[in-house]
Amino acid sequence: MKRIDKTSSLIPQVERGTLIKIFVDGIEIEAYKGETVATALLSAGITTFRLSHKHKKPRGLYCGMGICYECLVTINGIHAQRACITPVEEGMQIETCKELEL
Amino acid sequence: MIETYELAVIGAGPAGMEAAISASENGVKTVIVDNYPQVGGQYFMQLPKTFQADKNTQTEFKGKKLESQLNSLPVTKIQNTLTWAVFKEDNDQNWLVGLYGKDTPKYIRAQNLILANGAYDTPIAFPGWTLPGVITCGAALILLKSQRIKPGTRALVTGTGPLILSVNAHLIAAGVEVVSVCESNQILPKGFRYAPTMLKHWPRIKEGANYLRTIFRGKTPYKMGWSIKEAIGQDHVEKAVITKVDKSGKPISGTQKTFEVDLVVTGYSLTPNTGLARMIGCALDYQPQKGGWIPVRDHNMESSLPGVFIVGDGAAIGGAENAQLEGKIAGTAVAVKTGHLNANIAENFIQQVKPNLRSQQQFGILYGDLFTPQSGLISLATDQTILCRCEEVTFGEIKQAVLMGARTIGEVKMITRTGMGNCQGRMCEHSVNNAVVEALSSELVTHQSIGHYSVRPPLHPIPESYLAEAHIEVD
Repeated sequence: MKRIDKTSSLIPQVERGTLIKIFVDGIEIEAYKGETVATALLSAGITTFRLSHKHKKPRGLYCGMGICYECLVTINGIHAQRACITPVEEGMQIETCKELEL
Repeated sequence: MIETYELAVIGAGPAGMEAAISASENGVKTVIVDNYPQVGGQYFMQLPKTFQADKNTQTEFKGKKLESQLNSLPVTKIQNTLTWAVFKEDNDQNWLVGLYGKDTPKYIRAQNLILANGAYDTPIAFPGWTLPGVITCGAALILLKSQRIKPGTRALVTGTGPLILSVNAHLIAAGVEVVSVCESNQILPKGFRYAPTMLKHWPRIKEGANYLRTIFRGKTPYKMGWSIKEAIGQDHVEKAVITKVDKSGKPISGTQKTFEVDLVVTGYSLTPNTGLARMIGCALDYQPQKGGWIPVRDHNMESSLPGVFIVGDGAAIGGAENAQLEGKIAGTAVAVKTGHLNANIAENFIQQVKPNLRSQQQFGILYGDLFTPQSGLISLATDQTILCRCEEVTFGEIKQAVLMGARTIGEVKMITRTGMGNCQGRMCEHSVNNAVVEALSSELVTHQSIGHYSVRPPLHPIPESYLAEAHIEVD
């Protein structure tokens, strides 16, 4: 799960946004402005974003376009945010696999 | 104050953008609402605004042109915003559109609606499909083309249709090894009969040839009549088992092969995103070759509800060019309806685009005939396989509901909670519909008689506190 460095006619060269820092379960990771939370997590090797309600099985990115609601994480304390369509922001606090307190 | 428009376009992909442009050019007061930070939809997918590219791909270039056309017109753009509901207002004049986004109005009013909600990869259930590392073609293309990351290092691509070829080519371009591309349909020799139709679609031939070149270079085996059977792994996919399938999609025993992979990309053609159309009660028809349950429309793309138009892949699978034409037609029709355009001029325009539209429709027929996911693919699932990812309902539990007497998908939903989770049934309807047909193979049931999920607001999960605030605004 690495950022693409190879370029070709299908995937031309790109200059990413500014490098920022975000926190995932308290651990600092790097991300580029313009990336989604999902991209930042996957690039850091994190693929389990949440556990399913009933059986507590690992779930991660699936549809990637905001319609399946599988990639839900807690962002800055707000639960059930879609990692796939939420852009990263400097200092963002992300929590994975967080149990909902009811 | 809730702003009133003559037209609200929901969705800013190829169809929605063209619809808004056509309407606005003719003087219609138009608003366009989109769920993403940038317009273009999945087809004209853009790089994040903070990314700089030296070169644009041809598709990106076309998308940018369309965007600047849209920007040059007095169209109100509301982006990063979910449309969670559409209500018919008491006076029967307007539609009230419920929005959810940062710094966006909570409601807008519109006299006419154009729904351009696009499509998503038809989800096919197989053991292990909920594991991290199993993603759709849509997800893979966003990660590769827009976000610029490799979703894995060693991949299996499985599904039906040209998208799996596109995904394969992009994966290889990014440096991901692809162990195999499995096309569930046996598209040859049947496909040869469409050679005359294909000859009229040069750009598509060129694009397809590019993708096939990657295959022919010997880098990836392309297997027709094959599908994934199972994804295996603890917390992430580690292995993928593939199987030969018969014409109906049922796996043929004894043909299985296993690969070590850390990525499975699945794309069994596309399903139109019809949630809003269902919510307000547009009549639907079951046409698997056009993507499943699709809205009934007239030649102007108007649904069974007057003033509600549905265009592009969100109405029936036909591709981006078809979507653009449908958007133009609907936008023009709204201009006539709102008194901005003379009906004769509109009719002239319709006659002009007709040949191109017909040619696109012929391609749609080819596509549907060759690449419809077979209903027998439900047999990839075992009794323990989850069909409804949100509520974790298995194939076995669906069969149990049928034994208890359920004969429609609505009854199955009431017994099992399938389709009642966060995704509102988008991820399981196709599987559950086929599961009920399969479970009742001895009875006279059809996909039509089983029906589709009904949809009620909110279409997407939104905070209750937001709903409460929004309600005050309407009062």
